[in-house]
Amino acid sequence: MTAYLASLATLAAIFAILAVTLNFMVGYAGIFSVAHAVFFGLGAYAGAQVALHLVPDALAACAVAALIAGGLSLCLALPALRVRGEYFVAASLGLQMMALTLFSEAKGLTGGLGGLIGIPPPRLFGFAVGALPLSLAALALILLAIAAMARGSFGRTLQSIRDAESAAEALGKNVAVAKALAVAFACAGAGVAGALFALHMQFVNVESFTLEQSVLVMAMVIVGGTGTLLGPVVGAVLLLSLPAGLAFLPFIPPTEVGAVQQIIYGLAMTLLMIFRPAGLVGDLSRGRSEA
Amino acid sequence: MNRPASMDPPLRCEGLARSFGGVQAVAGVSLALPAGQVTALVGPNGAGKTTVFNLITGNLRADAGVALLRGQSILGLKPWQVARRGVARSFQDLRLFTHMSVRDNVLAATERSAWFWQPGTGRRAREAAAEAALEATGLATLATARAVDLAYAERKFLSMARILAAQAEIWLLDEPASGLDLASRLRFGQLLKDARARGVAICLIEHNLDVVAELADRIAFLDQGRVLAEGEPQAILRDPQLAAIYFGDRPQEVA
Repeated sequence: MTAYLASLATLAAIFAILAVTLNFMVGYAGIFSVAHAVFFGLGAYAGAQVALHLVPDALAACAVAALIAGGLSLCLALPALRVRGEYFVAASLGLQMMALTLFSEAKGLTGGLGGLIGIPPPRLFGFAVGALPLSLAALALILLAIAAMARGSFGRTLQSIRDAESAAEALGKNVAVAKALAVAFACAGAGVAGALFALHMQFVNVESFTLEQSVLVMAMVIVGGTGTLLGPVVGAVLLLSLPAGLAFLPFIPPTEVGAVQQIIYGLAMTLLMIFRPAGLVGDLSRGRSEA
Repeated sequence: MNRPASMDPPLRCEGLARSFGGVQAVAGVSLALPAGQVTALVGPNGAGKTTVFNLITGNLRADAGVALLRGQSILGLKPWQVARRGVARSFQDLRLFTHMSVRDNVLAATERSAWFWQPGTGRRAREAAAEAALEATGLATLATARAVDLAYAERKFLSMARILAAQAEIWLLDEPASGLDLASRLRFGQLLKDARARGVAICLIEHNLDVVAELADRIAFLDQGRVLAEGEPQAILRDPQLAAIYFGDRPQEVA
């Protein structure tokens, strides 16, 4: 039971990293991507390969994963960022579909549909460490970085682009560079989450990097509160623990959990968007800022 | 108060042209913006006034013509590059950073680098410039409000505060005084006069001829993409032919 809860908490921390980094793109820079799971996947495969073939060191795995996910996001984002708003959503959708095919076909790197198995558990400088403290530490570091950036000039630049791109340009801001930096940072963060995921699960396959996963992370951001620091963390914890919580309710037959979960998800999302359109955390902070 | 006319105008355009499909929006506009003077662009809707701004700032590519900033061509540059060379513009629809605070709107105008740090001026200097812009526009008490929550006139002054904080030598203002009441208009006029005294070259698109008469040193009258007349405000404003065009009684063309 403790092991199960620790595993759930680790997953929550990993998905919280995904949600806060996606929120950095969506909430601060106004770049809507439904391809976040692609960079999660790139990081997971990169981290797994490092652990399998080089060293099972968590820091090395995370660093390589961040470099690969962040670097590839730049190559892919630079042409895609030339389009605006809803067109970028379509471009990222295409990327998500293309990447999934590549993940299944590039068997040498990803193990194809079967995935990569036997990934060694994480170590840090030669010592065995739990995936939970690692994930929590990574989440804390990324949150600190985002908080610092959001308060500084970079955060203002991204928000000004989100609110009025042409006006930001007219004030001398190089919009393309700022957007590319935001995307690279967010995707590098997703890569770190992927490496931690691989080390924690000791197994990865393409099932974890689908469009549904990207949409789930987007839902975590929106439910928690777009553009807030901690909202996506709340959203990640909530959406991850909901299915686990339902499984413990005695009056739901185990065979029906999936269906009930779908209904509760849908209902909760709809009600939330009606009554708290800015998300769970977003509403509160908006009330505060007007006071 | 005005600088001597012998000084070379910092911004000069010649023969600017641009068409959209079959419509010649700007057909060879030549315009010079001298330092320390307010040049008003006047003309009916669709005359091409905003298009001239967009050609200068690089938001639109010119089909023909030249635009020289201190003798160097700025055509073909991107909007952010033109801005960094000292050309600030406002938009008719303001385009404020709606969900940011008033102070952050103005601070953002002092920060040009897209990177994580700001080279050049220190943070203190930028914050001081932002505070000064807030003071000058009367927005200091609203510094923590979000732009989207401001009243109409306050939004227009926030747009001006961003321009002030950008510390540019050339201001291109697209209907900055429209819809302002008399008191606000006077306050706005004072902002322009102060900037003019500092040597800023100001170009103003304005439909209210009272505002033009009060603030403009020169008028360029645009119609159908051409500068029909240019000169002293009183001469232009008294011209009956221009008035006829402006007020919609376009003389029938002889067949």
